[in-house]
Amino acid sequence: MFGNNHSAGNLRTPLAPWVSSATARIAFGAFAAAMLALMVATAVSPPEAWALPTALDTVSQVVNTALPVLRDRSSPVPQRRRKLRSLLEQHFDFSDMSRIALGYHWRELSTQQRAQFTQLFTAFIENAYLSKIQDYSGQDVAILGQNAEGEGFARVRSQIIQSGKQPIKVDYLLRDMDGDWKIYDVTVDAISIVANYRNQFNRVINDQGFDKLMSDMRVKQQQLEASMGS
Amino acid sequence: MAVSEEIMRMQTERSIKKLATLCGTALLATLLMVSATFGQSAATGGGDQAAAPKLPGEKTLPGETGGPYTDPLEPFNSAMFKFNVDLDQYVVTPVAKGYSYVMPEPARQSVNNFFRNVGVIPRFANNLFQLHPYNAANELARFGINSTLGVAGLFDVADSWFGMKQHNDDFGLTLGHYGIYSGPYVMLPFFGPSTVRDTVGLVVDGCMNPMAWLLPWYVTIPADAGSEAINAVNYRSLHPNQFEEADRYAVDLYGAVQDAYMQTRVAELKRIAQ
Repeated sequence: MFGNNHSAGNLRTPLAPWVSSATARIAFGAFAAAMLALMVATAVSPPEAWALPTALDTVSQVVNTALPVLRDRSSPVPQRRRKLRSLLEQHFDFSDMSRIALGYHWRELSTQQRAQFTQLFTAFIENAYLSKIQDYSGQDVAILGQNAEGEGFARVRSQIIQSGKQPIKVDYLLRDMDGDWKIYDVTVDAISIVANYRNQFNRVINDQGFDKLMSDMRVKQQQLEASMGS
Repeated sequence: MAVSEEIMRMQTERSIKKLATLCGTALLATLLMVSATFGQSAATGGGDQAAAPKLPGEKTLPGETGGPYTDPLEPFNSAMFKFNVDLDQYVVTPVAKGYSYVMPEPARQSVNNFFRNVGVIPRFANNLFQLHPYNAANELARFGINSTLGVAGLFDVADSWFGMKQHNDDFGLTLGHYGIYSGPYVMLPFFGPSTVRDTVGLVVDGCMNPMAWLLPWYVTIPADAGSEAINAVNYRSLHPNQFEEADRYAVDLYGAVQDAYMQTRVAELKRIAQ
């Protein structure tokens, strides 16, 4: 636009033969000034006003923050776990996850039971993710794209690239919560993790009751905690 | 000489008759399932698994797929699951460990490629049945290339040199593709998780093995069982931590395996439909 700053004398259009070169130059100048003002305004105003983060941005941010922490062998493991734990708490919607994981049993629970379950399930999922730190061996993550899944919902597709093997497809389902996109489900190679847990929890509640589910989950969570102790 | 040849011929005829009976039964079972599907669709409005009834106004978030599954065969399935887990823990895993010591990993990968290669006929046939002629021809070409350039299928050069990917398929997926209801979940001894539909598919795919029609049963059954056992041990040696991983993160292992299988089948049907 600024490069094509031909002199106004070249603006020969059959539509406006009466536009004098001087007028054209003034109009063009005004237009240029307006554009410049707009650009300056964009630079100084807060970015949120101009570009709300998309679901893909959120996942990219999570991945780009997590990978260096996973790769950093020099810092102590508890410190790296703390960083990853806060990352999970910031970007995962654990309350929705817990509700979906219990399925139709959720409505049978009291408020206190729901809170207890959410707390335990959150700890369990966090430990499950964090215990995988030692399994990480430098794989790269490629974020492929996003699809809208309805008003305020999105699916972000990614792949974990392993040398010599097929890449692992990982999809994230996100929900728009007041401008913040939060992850409520992860699908690994076409298997939704939350749906898988829902089937497990459903079976345990049907066969043995909610309290048995809580104690079984607590045992597993503590086992994961212990295995991370080293 | 002539007498033993005669006996061989008679026994081959008898085993062909047995095989024909078995395969005929499988096809009959297929027809029954087709008619049952129409009944099922009429009753519950279709769908592959019976979903839990929802209260009015209860929201489902997008992507909330899978379960809960009605499991009418649960006592049988639990027993078979325990059998399979014990078999894996006490037989297959120790043998696989010893096998891993003797066979280096590239050799085991080649054995895996060999078994994948010879399993081409069900893949080819089912891709045709599902009206994907390109994929069927692709499977045939892969078999030709891997059997020759890939040294009897030991090397998957069709993939590594020519980028020709395998298109996994079986008769259970063909039945599902044409709308046959999956039926209840079935845990088969040795074979692992399945459904009624997929079990029928397994039998039909087995009937496609030409050796089963050419040789008597006392040759093909031990040979098949032996080769399947080698395949299982070899596969297990390539994935040593699969069971332990699943067990570490599962609160209910039976439910985890059940759901993983059912979700995978639904995803495969979606893949075929595209």
